[in-house]
Amino acid sequence: MEEVKTEKSGYMLMNKPGYPRVSSWPNLVWVILLMMLLITVFFWCVSFLAYAPLEEMSEWAKTPNPAKAPWYFIGLQELLVYFDPWIAGVMLPNQILIGLILIPYVDISPNEQGTYDFSRRRFAVAFFTFGMVFWFLLITTGQLLRGPSWQVYWPIIDYDLGSAHWVREGVPLKEAGAKLKSLPLSVGLASLGIFAVGGMTLPVLVAKNLDSEKTRGVP
Amino acid sequence: MEERKTALQKTLDTIKKAIMDNPIYKSVFRTGYPNTILKQMSVMRSSFYMHIFPTKVGEHGLKLRYSWCMGGITFFLFLLLSVTGLLLMFYYVPEENRAFNDMKDLRFMVPFGVILRNMHRWAAHGMVFTVMLHMARVFYTGSYKVPRQLNWVVGAILLLLTLMLSFTGYLLPWDQLGFWAVTVGTNMAAATPVLGYEGPFQNLLNVQIDNDIRFALIGGTRIGANALIRAYVWHCVALPLIATLLMVFHFWRIRKDGFSGPL
Repeated sequence: MEEVKTEKSGYMLMNKPGYPRVSSWPNLVWVILLMMLLITVFFWCVSFLAYAPLEEMSEWAKTPNPAKAPWYFIGLQELLVYFDPWIAGVMLPNQILIGLILIPYVDISPNEQGTYDFSRRRFAVAFFTFGMVFWFLLITTGQLLRGPSWQVYWPIIDYDLGSAHWVREGVPLKEAGAKLKSLPLSVGLASLGIFAVGGMTLPVLVAKNLDSEKTRGVP
Repeated sequence: MEERKTALQKTLDTIKKAIMDNPIYKSVFRTGYPNTILKQMSVMRSSFYMHIFPTKVGEHGLKLRYSWCMGGITFFLFLLLSVTGLLLMFYYVPEENRAFNDMKDLRFMVPFGVILRNMHRWAAHGMVFTVMLHMARVFYTGSYKVPRQLNWVVGAILLLLTLMLSFTGYLLPWDQLGFWAVTVGTNMAAATPVLGYEGPFQNLLNVQIDNDIRFALIGGTRIGANALIRAYVWHCVALPLIATLLMVFHFWRIRKDGFSGPL
């Protein structure tokens, strides 16, 4: 990022002459007030219509089958099907987080901002969209399509997550859980490596083909 | 009729004037009714609650179809969760034998307890979802680019904190759902290389089931009373504090950089 401008207000839209501005009162304030009311009313109504889930009291000796993580972590649990736990549960999430943090520093596509026009940052948008779609695909699979022993089930088949039928008494989680056949360790390591190296170098390689764009890039 | 109306009008005007000239009113609402641009700017600047907002905003950033309002909604849900969470703390004791019964009490005994818990639960799921959408919006509009790189990093950490907040809260009802979800989640920590007893290279530091990273998280070799109190303290004190500090920085940075828009 050698091209970072240091002059004050260089990038602050607000300070640019002729930039259309309106006073925050009432233009911003009423949007905020309205949103606060709408969100409160929305969650109030939802809370009247749907109970927060509460199953029977926790019992160490009764392992539900399957035991599922909360929905936002279920993508990682789903990854356990394909990789060893230390890759799926530890390395990959850390890689995702570090990757997210590094986005502004590795993405050197043109500094196109403030619009949904992707024409000059097709690669970056495709890369990110792929990740998001994949993440929610894993969540959907894990949440809706996985049943007892982590086998594939259709969501229309109604089995009760915590009911006695699927609970195995006195059987620890490991035995009650899925009999998973992970991919070989080498595949897991290789994909970690590919993600890391690819994620860090691809943006640069792609940007090289956009040399003319690059000069226009960071203003 | 006409005369009476003016009489009424006059009375109202007198009352209005009396209120507006009242020193107490003046000390609270310092600028008066903001009906001129000068007063509108002054009302934003002189109010404690309003001063986190700029006095003027770009028309571009105001549009809902641009911002989706997701950052604001996420923050408001955080406030909503703080309030409902605080009220829940009056009724809930994080003790192995009481926690689940307190849940039942909230559902059947405490006035409005069921609404309180439902709102806390659904708003928590909502916040996880809106924070993801907020990240997507910021990415698609390229708002993480110069000069907002650092704020994106803070945002990514706030996303992680939101997930951790939701995850620690999952255990607190002490029912089968939360208990086993957290068991599954924390078992993954056991697979951490070097630091987890089931991970690779665990021999390096002689890590066992009773001194590895999972043990540090749940305070035992399995989820029990210690895990419950740890989840509770992280959920109600530590994580909200850290998240608040980062949010303060996040918003301060937004004020410095302004709303994103086309360059």
